Amino acid sequence: MTKNAGDDLRIGFLTTLDVDQKGIVGGLLITNRFGRPLEFQCTAPIKASRTQEILYGQTLRPYLKCDLIGKTLFDKVSVKPHMLLTEDPELLDLRDQLRVPVACCDEVKPNAASPPDKVRIGDQLLTFHSSHDADVGTVKNQAEALPQDADLAEPLERVREALSETVRSTP
Amino acid sequence: MTENTQPHKDVGASLEPGQPVPPNELQSVEPDNNPTIITNVPLNISADTFASGMNSALQRTVSPATIEHDLKMIVRVMPTWKAPRKPKIETSGFVLPDAFDFIPKEPAKEDKPEKLKSIKPPGIVSGQEEDPTDGAHQVNGEKKKKTRTRLKPPADALSLKDRLFYLLQPPLEGWLGGQEMIMPFEPFPYQYEGIAWLFASQSALLADEMGLGKTMQTITAIRLLLRSGHCRRILLVCPKPLLPNWQRELKTWAEEIPFVVVEGKTSKRMMTWQIPGIPVLLANYELVVRDFAAMEEDERPVFDLMVLDEAQRIKNRDSTTAKTIRSVTRKRSWALTGTPIENRTEELAALFEFMEVVPPRTVPEPRQLSRLADEFILRRTKDLVMTDLPPRFDRDAHIELTEQQDYAYKQAEKQGVMALNEMGDEISIQHVFELVLRLKQICNYDPFTNSSCKLDSLRADMEEISASGGKAILFSQWTKSLDWIAERTQDFNPLIYHGGVPTKKREPILDRFENDPDCPLILMSYGTGAVGLNLQFAGYVFLFDRWWNPAVEDQAINRAHRIGQKTQVIVTKFICQNTIEERIDRVLTEKRELFKSILGDGQVEGGVNLSMSAGDIFGLFDLKAKQKGAKPKPIDPEEKLPAA
Repeated sequence: MTKNAGDDLRIGFLTTLDVDQKGIVGGLLITNRFGRPLEFQCTAPIKASRTQEILYGQTLRPYLKCDLIGKTLFDKVSVKPHMLLTEDPELLDLRDQLRVPVACCDEVKPNAASPPDKVRIGDQLLTFHSSHDADVGTVKNQAEALPQDADLAEPLERVREALSETVRSTP
Repeated sequence: MTENTQPHKDVGASLEPGQPVPPNELQSVEPDNNPTIITNVPLNISADTFASGMNSALQRTVSPATIEHDLKMIVRVMPTWKAPRKPKIETSGFVLPDAFDFIPKEPAKEDKPEKLKSIKPPGIVSGQEEDPTDGAHQVNGEKKKKTRTRLKPPADALSLKDRLFYLLQPPLEGWLGGQEMIMPFEPFPYQYEGIAWLFASQSALLADEMGLGKTMQTITAIRLLLRSGHCRRILLVCPKPLLPNWQRELKTWAEEIPFVVVEGKTSKRMMTWQIPGIPVLLANYELVVRDFAAMEEDERPVFDLMVLDEAQRIKNRDSTTAKTIRSVTRKRSWALTGTPIENRTEELAALFEFMEVVPPRTVPEPRQLSRLADEFILRRTKDLVMTDLPPRFDRDAHIELTEQQDYAYKQAEKQGVMALNEMGDEISIQHVFELVLRLKQICNYDPFTNSSCKLDSLRADMEEISASGGKAILFSQWTKSLDWIAERTQDFNPLIYHGGVPTKKREPILDRFENDPDCPLILMSYGTGAVGLNLQFAGYVFLFDRWWNPAVEDQAINRAHRIGQKTQVIVTKFICQNTIEERIDRVLTEKRELFKSILGDGQVEGGVNLSMSAGDIFGLFDLKAKQKGAKPKPIDPEEKLPAA
């Protein structure tokens, strides 16, 4: 069987979880194009001090999620993804620090139209960082390797479950 | 200076005494009360000063004193904070094991790339419209998401990494259904559940009722384990007659998984055991016992998973087979059987010992067994899960012996019972058993006249079945009876399938039965045909005579009544009236009820024997099992067997 370039497509699924009293944890799951897991990395809970909360203000959460969690996890994984998917719009800013497209998934109705600056895969509409227009074309090409009915939101559920299990297991 | 309040004499006579004098008209008043006007007041007022020293002090140079303060105190009062360049974040994670590198399958045509087969639920009832949307269906006008079967971490997975491994796997429906793994048919929901349960189990006994797809669930779970890189070498052990069945099922459900059957001469087999890179080895029980006995301990292969089909083969834990099987080094142990308690509850302990969930040589209490069963046994019955499976109708054909049979039967019974009486203390279960067999054979047919009420009834039924294009399976415990029936049903082109048929010829026989419309009848022995075969295209089953164990009878019936069956299955059990068969039928019915109570919700109280015991056999003639030192009860030759 001839191997296509898309056969090796790897997708990163990044999400964060707010944990009571502990802060924010983040998890990154790398899968192949069929959703089979290849690598998983997660962070310890990160909690900002009161001073940080005051000084960073509204920029605190994006800073924690993108600069600290997202970038750290991306650097940490040994199996690098070709694209990064998330469901958290705040994580889109991570794109400025990476060389791969970052997209935010949002469930869409079956018959809804797909705007030109977004990409639809299965029942998910992908939104991209406004200053990286070329990502739309890149992901469109990559999406050809994905099954038509791929559920891109499902692996994010797995990441959340894994994060919850990790938080439960750690004192 | 004094202020005179007396009126001035020059100011006018109009001033009254006591009235103030205007300032510009100050007057001096003489003591004789004559006022004198004062016109000049001296302003040169002299002041005397004294030396105090204050003025010179102000002219001295200021010399201030200094006080030192701790700078830290100042920092506390005025805090500063600088964002760190990049705080170090603690991370943890792991790379999942590599998937097995399968031999890629060549597409049929180069210009037409292989497309994943779309799969459909097998249970769609005719007339019911298929849902056009893949992965979702409409319920009350609303889109409902397809169910997902997620893998759950096993209870014994202690490490976080192990638990995460299971949690991170995709839902089975997505994994199997047309994505990475091509499935010929979509599994039923309960099969997804079984696959997920097996996948996550180190020790498992899949005890689904026959016909629910234990083989398919096992193969798919194996496939997933290989795909996920969790297992790399698997040994599958089954009875020899089932080897072709497993090969066929492996090709159907896991076409990409290479497997090798351990067979041939000793040297070839020894080489086969050691071949690296073969993910699945398929062997029969006898060869495993023989080959492992011949190997040095350090030469014996080790496995990630060992699967025992028809695991009741190791129910006797002291047998060589059971000991050898238990000695195989493996990480996971799965057992498959539709009859985990074929005879006694102690047999479960033997299976649990193989599964390494009880210490060697221990016999758990019934309560412990029940707890172990909850954790390590998965059993579903057709009633619960196969609501779409066509029904099975059991028809007890109570027929009268022919005259010749009746005569032969009575003679044999009379002589037999007399002989037993003459034995006195020497009587044993074997003697009674021989008589039972002889009487049962006469119920099948009279050996002297070849007269048979069952054959007459069978022929009548087969006329109808053959005319309607149906297929029938007939079971008997005697190969001799099968041959006898075959001679007398030649107009139905009967096929014979029993232990006397060479293994290589068996598959073609089954193929012909399935595909040749001129072969509506296959004659099978319980021993060879009752296990592992998929004959769901047959709608009729005849039990020409009865087996001693209801579980074995059910296994036989379930060759036809299983997944894929499209029509109802009619089971005909021949029972000759006023014979020992009626009595056996009653005992088997009681046993069947007991079996249900053990594997269902019933309470298990102590060991239970589901086979016909010595007591049951003696009871067929109203005898009691021989007690040590007790005399057997005399047999009355005229005593009739009570009606069922």
